[in-house]
Amino acid sequence: MAVLRPLDKLPGLNSAALLLVGSDEELQQKLAEAILQEKRDFKISIHIATSLPLPSERDHLRPRIDLIVFVIDIKSKCSLKNVEASLAYVDATFFLGKVCFLVTGVGRVNCCSIETNAICKLGEAYCSPMLFCELELEGVRVSTAQRLLRMLQICAGLVPGFSALSFSLLMRNSADD
Amino acid sequence: MADMSWNLEQELEQGRAPAWPQGGHDVGVLKLLRLRDQMKQLLMEYSAAVRGGETTFLDQVVEEKHIQGVTEDLQTDKEEIEVSFWNKTLALQRIQLMAALRNKMKQDDKDSCLILETVNRIVLLSQAIIKYQQLAHEKKQKLIDIKRKRLSLKKDQRRKLQQIQTMKKKQKKEKGNKNLDEAKMLQNLEKERLMTTVIQNVFQNIIIGSGVNWAEDPSLKAIVLQLEKNVHLP
Repeated sequence: MAVLRPLDKLPGLNSAALLLVGSDEELQQKLAEAILQEKRDFKISIHIATSLPLPSERDHLRPRIDLIVFVIDIKSKCSLKNVEASLAYVDATFFLGKVCFLVTGVGRVNCCSIETNAICKLGEAYCSPMLFCELELEGVRVSTAQRLLRMLQICAGLVPGFSALSFSLLMRNSADD
Repeated sequence: MADMSWNLEQELEQGRAPAWPQGGHDVGVLKLLRLRDQMKQLLMEYSAAVRGGETTFLDQVVEEKHIQGVTEDLQTDKEEIEVSFWNKTLALQRIQLMAALRNKMKQDDKDSCLILETVNRIVLLSQAIIKYQQLAHEKKQKLIDIKRKRLSLKKDQRRKLQQIQTMKKKQKKEKGNKNLDEAKMLQNLEKERLMTTVIQNVFQNIIIGSGVNWAEDPSLKAIVLQLEKNVHLP
């Protein structure tokens, strides 16, 4: 199946799956390790890919993806193009709170080759929260990992009474104000 | 690329921290309760998704109208909720302000004296405002009364003028009638006069024709002489 759908497979008990999509493998690897270092009480599996669609051979082995994080490097235009191309393979119902954009490399303002305007428009067009971070730095990586872990927990339905959709609306309304 | 991601998956799954706390009997119950909450949440999400995809109409147009109607309702609800939220925020801020003021006044230093003075001044000014507003209100009432009286007077005036007009019309009609009657009477009178003149002339001619010496008989003389004058009526 070429298009990722959120409710295709049955969820696992007390577990969550995260998918990182981006062009820089190393950074994603580091981020994944940082997430795994965090203390948590549920099972987590992190999948890393450079672009969608995911290869269909392993489709039956993959669990249900709870949160997709698109990693955009602000220093390279091709990462943005890559992400935009991959967005086509994600089902529309995914964007009800289960997608997040992570913009990395914001520490170096003079090396920006993508405008913040374009990225913000992307986030607004897809109604998804936009997180800005700098994955090269240790401290920022850890805090980003904590944020992503919390978001993953909510999107997997492990926080009773709070759904992914309400979370995304909360993020959006507070951003607007 | 696929292999790489698969290998990474394996490594990551092996390296994850233990999910369940090792423990005894009570922790098992907690675990079960947590699982139950999670399953409830997941069930809610799935049922919401199912409900969302459920509405199947046979007609595209009807579905669109339905969606439009629902969207409008939701928008009005949203606006109402936003308005009530803003009102509540304002009320809350007002309460907070009053509480802060009250606390400040209890402290009793020169700031609070200033605040007290200002508040007193505000009270006096508000009283003056109320008084002047009352006066203005009374004046407005008087003005309204006067205007009402004027209006009623104008109405009376109009009525009277109408009455005068109708009376004048009646009078003119009567005069017209009278004129007609008069003209008729004058005509009759004229006829009678002519007849009388004719009869007089005939009488005169009879007396003259009969050859009687009318100058001797004073009564006949009077008659003939009198009959000379034409009966002239003014």
